[in-house]
Amino acid sequence: MSMLRAGAFDVSERATTSELIAFETESGTPVVQLSGDWGRAIRPPSAAHVADTLDVGGQSRVVVDGAALDNAHPRVAAFVHALGDALTQDNVSLDTRDLPDDISALIALASPTPAAPERPRRPGLLARVGRRAGAQASVARNTANLVGQAMALTPALVSGRAQTRWRDFVELVRETGAASLPVVTVVNILIGAVLGFIGAVQLQTFGAGMYLADLVGIASAREMAAIMTAFIMAGRIGATFAAHLATMESNEEIDALRMIGVSPFEFLALPRLAALSLMMPLLFLYGATLAIAGGMIVAHIVLGTPPVAFVERLQDAMSLSEFVIGFVKSIAFGVLIALTSCYIGLNAGRNAAEVGRAATRTVVVCIIGIISIDAVAALCTNALGI
Amino acid sequence: MAHDSDDTPDNLVTVRDLHYAIDTRVIYKGVDIDIARGRITAIMGPSGTGKTTLLRLISGQWRAMSGSVDFDGQRIAKLSQRQLFTLRKRMGMLFQSGALLTDLSVYNNVAFPLREHTRLPERLIRDIVLMKLEAVGLRGARDLFPAQLSGGMARRVALARAIALDPEMIMYDEPFAGQDPISMGVLLRLIRRLNDVLGLTSIVVSHDVKETLGIADYVYVISDGEVIDHGTPDEIRNSSSDWVQQFIQASADGPVPFHYAGTSYAKDLLGAEPR
Repeated sequence: MSMLRAGAFDVSERATTSELIAFETESGTPVVQLSGDWGRAIRPPSAAHVADTLDVGGQSRVVVDGAALDNAHPRVAAFVHALGDALTQDNVSLDTRDLPDDISALIALASPTPAAPERPRRPGLLARVGRRAGAQASVARNTANLVGQAMALTPALVSGRAQTRWRDFVELVRETGAASLPVVTVVNILIGAVLGFIGAVQLQTFGAGMYLADLVGIASAREMAAIMTAFIMAGRIGATFAAHLATMESNEEIDALRMIGVSPFEFLALPRLAALSLMMPLLFLYGATLAIAGGMIVAHIVLGTPPVAFVERLQDAMSLSEFVIGFVKSIAFGVLIALTSCYIGLNAGRNAAEVGRAATRTVVVCIIGIISIDAVAALCTNALGI
Repeated sequence: MAHDSDDTPDNLVTVRDLHYAIDTRVIYKGVDIDIARGRITAIMGPSGTGKTTLLRLISGQWRAMSGSVDFDGQRIAKLSQRQLFTLRKRMGMLFQSGALLTDLSVYNNVAFPLREHTRLPERLIRDIVLMKLEAVGLRGARDLFPAQLSGGMARRVALARAIALDPEMIMYDEPFAGQDPISMGVLLRLIRRLNDVLGLTSIVVSHDVKETLGIADYVYVISDGEVIDHGTPDEIRNSSSDWVQQFIQASADGPVPFHYAGTSYAKDLLGAEPR
């Protein structure tokens, strides 16, 4: 800037400063007359220098007159804009007169945008941790609320007083139950067969092949059938429920239900909860039976155990309590999947991306939940010696 | 804001000194609104001013942080969930997207509130549904599903559903957004006719200036959490507020600048002081 100022009024070879700019006064107001072709100047007049040297004479206004300009060179625009900026700092306003249209347009384009509001400072680490924890607390509260509602409304559901449509319930039972049969069948037979293969090889080395029925039977009834069926249902039904409810939320359908005076929980979540907690244990019984059958087939092929002998061994090895444990766990898994998917679905955001996210989150949360419940159940049954 | 106190008995909804914020974003900072019985009151303002929020506050879906919302003398914030559901039977709401239940036919969508809230015999429900559908001109579309309807038709079916229980008040959330001129004309006529014939009280939330000023009896203009101006459509058209003039004349620049706040363009492009 100082360099510019030093040479600001140097005479150039092609256009002298005096050809480009002149200073006058009109009834006290300073007037800056621009003239000639600014494109021809090697070094055009500096706005900073003009602003510094211009004798404003106590006036609050300076006029720039462009009537004598030869053409609309952008340098003029830059000069006028910079001069305006510099004068504004001294509380002097700049008016323009007879500037070429192109120059005026260019200056308007550069006119100040409203100042950006100060961006709120990013809260400190402690504040962010606290805020996150607070958000978790509200999730916990909402979950407790949901479970409470479900428990409070169960009698109403059973007696048919809840705002739940019987037809919805029947359709949901079909969707969760009958429609899930093929995949439950395939997965459980294969799981039983895999258990059978692993067990057969190991038990054979000890000559204990006959105990394969114990291994497959107990593992299927207590753990595998219940868990695998629950995983299948989390992926198949939990994701569907969450996506469906999230879509309804983004379509304002949930709001519409509330406005009509229907509780979305009773209308949407309750039948899903009932259908899942009814069908899960039934699917478990079906799955456990098939898993044992899968093990039986493998025992027959690999060890040559006749099915009759396998079933006889099974009757000795297993007690009803194995099935009861799996059965009860299945009900818990059903409740978990239904509540998780409905909670996430009903609390999803209002856009398309949220629908997919709700489905994914449901599956992840359900899988973690299923394994956690199973671990706790294993600890409890172990402590109780069942 | 001054309100004529002798108007009060005629107001179905009164909002006083309403404050509301979503997280740190302040939506309302002290708003007074009166919804006169039997009239069409319009709430206008730019997108994002929380017009829909107001409807949610009136219907009790959300609760005000301070200030009051009264519906027919009942303070919304003090009602229990059950009382609120009962109260909502007296209000209908037309959502922006229609919000029809997608797995139900047009007929069943309109019948839905009747089946949920009444023990009427199916024959009577059928008569009522057909009457409501006739009122919106879609009796012939009763067997269609929401996916088969155009946007305008979906909104009309939703309107039939909203009036199924013969509410006292009906709230329209952006009823004109995204409508072709013919659907727009149909909706405008419907809103006016339903209001006058059924003796309803209507709240229309919209930013469509021409349509809204054409249909409303009274208009509130809201921006930045405050009521900028209110009055009859003619008073609004002649408003002395620059902001209201910019809004109703749809000028690009005015009190609401065209440019979003930022640094100066010249500075940004040149990367330094242009001296």
